[in-house]
Amino acid sequence: MDFEIAPEQQDLVDSVRAVLAQECPTALVRDIVENGSAPEQPWKSARELGWTSIDLPESLGGLELGFTALGLVVEQHGRRVAPGPFLATVTQFLPLVCEVGTPEQLERFAIPAGAGELRGALAVDHGRAPEHALGDGLRARRDGTGWVLDGERAYVLDGDSADEIAVAARIDADDGVGLFVVPQRAAKAQRAVALDASRPLAHLRFDAVRVEPERVLGTPGASASSLGRALERATVAAALECVGTCQTLMELTVEHAKQRRQFDQPIGAFQAIQHKCADMFVQVEKARATGHFAMMAVAEDDPRRTLAASMAKAAASDCQQLVCKEAIQIHGGMGYTWESDVQLFVKRAKTLEALFGTGRAHRQRIAALLDL
Amino acid sequence: MQLHYDAATEDFRAEVRAWLEANQPTLEEMRAEPVKSSAHQTGWSRRWQRRLFDAGLLVPGWPEGLGGRSLPAVQQLVFHEEMARIAVDRSTNPQGLEIIAPSIRDYGSDFLKEKYLLPTLRAEIAWCLGMSEPGAGSDLAALSTRAVVHDDHFTVTGQKIWTSGAQHADHCFCFVRTDPDAPKHRGISVVIIDMKAPGVRVRPLPALNDRDHIDFNEVFFDGVVVPRDHLVGPLHHGWSISAGSLAHERGMMWLSSARRLDDTLERLRELAREEGPDGRRIGESATFRDAVAGLYVDAQAMWFMGYRGFAKFARGQISPEHSVLKLFGSEIAQRATRLATEAQGVDALDVDYRGWTFDDSRGRAPWIRQYLVTYGGTISAGTSEIQRNIIAQRVLGLPRR
Repeated sequence: MDFEIAPEQQDLVDSVRAVLAQECPTALVRDIVENGSAPEQPWKSARELGWTSIDLPESLGGLELGFTALGLVVEQHGRRVAPGPFLATVTQFLPLVCEVGTPEQLERFAIPAGAGELRGALAVDHGRAPEHALGDGLRARRDGTGWVLDGERAYVLDGDSADEIAVAARIDADDGVGLFVVPQRAAKAQRAVALDASRPLAHLRFDAVRVEPERVLGTPGASASSLGRALERATVAAALECVGTCQTLMELTVEHAKQRRQFDQPIGAFQAIQHKCADMFVQVEKARATGHFAMMAVAEDDPRRTLAASMAKAAASDCQQLVCKEAIQIHGGMGYTWESDVQLFVKRAKTLEALFGTGRAHRQRIAALLDL
Repeated sequence: MQLHYDAATEDFRAEVRAWLEANQPTLEEMRAEPVKSSAHQTGWSRRWQRRLFDAGLLVPGWPEGLGGRSLPAVQQLVFHEEMARIAVDRSTNPQGLEIIAPSIRDYGSDFLKEKYLLPTLRAEIAWCLGMSEPGAGSDLAALSTRAVVHDDHFTVTGQKIWTSGAQHADHCFCFVRTDPDAPKHRGISVVIIDMKAPGVRVRPLPALNDRDHIDFNEVFFDGVVVPRDHLVGPLHHGWSISAGSLAHERGMMWLSSARRLDDTLERLRELAREEGPDGRRIGESATFRDAVAGLYVDAQAMWFMGYRGFAKFARGQISPEHSVLKLFGSEIAQRATRLATEAQGVDALDVDYRGWTFDDSRGRAPWIRQYLVTYGGTISAGTSEIQRNIIAQRVLGLPRR
């Protein structure tokens, strides 16, 4: 057992960090937010360096380094508030396809997504997360050999820019879970005005969208546990991106406290500020340690993985609340401005709190798992 | 990074578990002779510590003959995990085993090692630690208990406070000022004082929750003669011993607080099944469920952060985890017990402590008592405020004033 990052994993972390520092400055994120630009980076690097296939088996063209390696890469993305299709494609779409896909489906969807040639998204009900993230908003009924989808999915990350959408719908006949891969253009997408424009969200409408049998994942009506397992990956990844974002925000804030002088001393010399910084540090340490535990539990398919995923999301949410609050407060007037980068991090962290279930929602599940 | 241990380590765990099952003290033994302070050794606690010593499981990282087996770090961790599972401490004089014995081993002369190390490890003698004073709490280096240096002895005069177990201790590992003219960190030395020597007086200082709950004491020294050979380490170099002493076993000391938090969480789960003051099951309250789940995450995070700190400790690296774990763990314990007292409402007000012992984990003390006791955690051994200062200044590099 070892909770410390192994040397070869540290090499990976260092190289991801160096590439993102080069290719993903906050100016790039700000350009998306302010001008709606669509930069090639850092997705291009992720694709070329194989980060997109890091958790795929070699048989699917992957690096087969496991979910732990993927989690570490995602955390580094969070540290730079990296934009782009990485999170949705690699940590949301791919896990569901890989969980239940037939060899043909893996060939058709997983290999190209792992190669970064296909962008994916995952359409679930975030308000109903984490239990099964299904809700009643989207239903599927059998139609001959295929299925027909009717309804809506709100706040789908990359929902209007992905090529393929993995969809979880409620089966009309038995209320079970059905999983499908639908081409994005089959849905009517309406982009939301998202809090964090570098994490674009869209509402998708499915009006009698027909799904051919080769696009049905697993057995409709009996896919609840597959969806649950894929959601655990997506949830842990969102938690880790959030931890990375919070870590950088804390560091920016500590640096500000060292530089900013008032009353003839750095404000960081005041104990009131020092204690806020110490509390931020504790929350980041807690969230990262819990996120790393969840990452290992998923990677090793440990029986605690469901509980671990909820703990990771709850811890990341706690962390996000405190770090964002103190970061703005300690930055003072500058933290309140549009010009300061603080807002980019605060909005990313808040977005990641809400996606795949808030801390409160996950604590409800933890309470149930503990038989309270 | 990985969660699971290798097969050889799991074999070792099985061996330790079997040994503990065969050798741990029984609940009847422990209840028959309750522990009254952190230096109170009972018949069962002496026998138990001696069995651990003889089996090389008292300080498993130490060599044979010193109560150990020279175990590698991972096996030490597994040992401590198994100890946490049985929830019985190795010693009922924790400061003796965990702080004073390692300090004597590191800094003591051959004479002192001969005289005190093995008897401490074999539970033949018990210790108190003379650090805090009325004028030197968080600012420990301001201590003023004076030891005048003579040719062959010291004369010690002054007062210590918050001295755990002083009423039962045989000896005091005492921080004294030997050079009043040096800057405050430089004039401090450590001497070993016989608690039965003329001029030593102990006044108990019961804790706020219960007049019979006595671990703290005031200790008065009035011209106490201490032989010169009872100086630990070089003269005037006591401050480095204080830093060194407290660093001992930091890599694994968090395990017992993590274990106690697990116990507290287990009790909260039991409380959820009880009826609250409004006649409804406590666990039906959404607020209570939310709070317990949050505390559960925090208590688990203690383990995860501890394991991370351990990984660094095992690689010989310094880690900030100790301050984080101390701060975090003591504050969670306080939140958890306060939550329970709130859920209990008026039922929390029944403070019939009779039958409860010093060692709360042995019995099931009323929640309100446990809650009040948690303030010991956020104040002693570096207050929460001091821990935040340490994190801010030494870890995050914020400027000292």
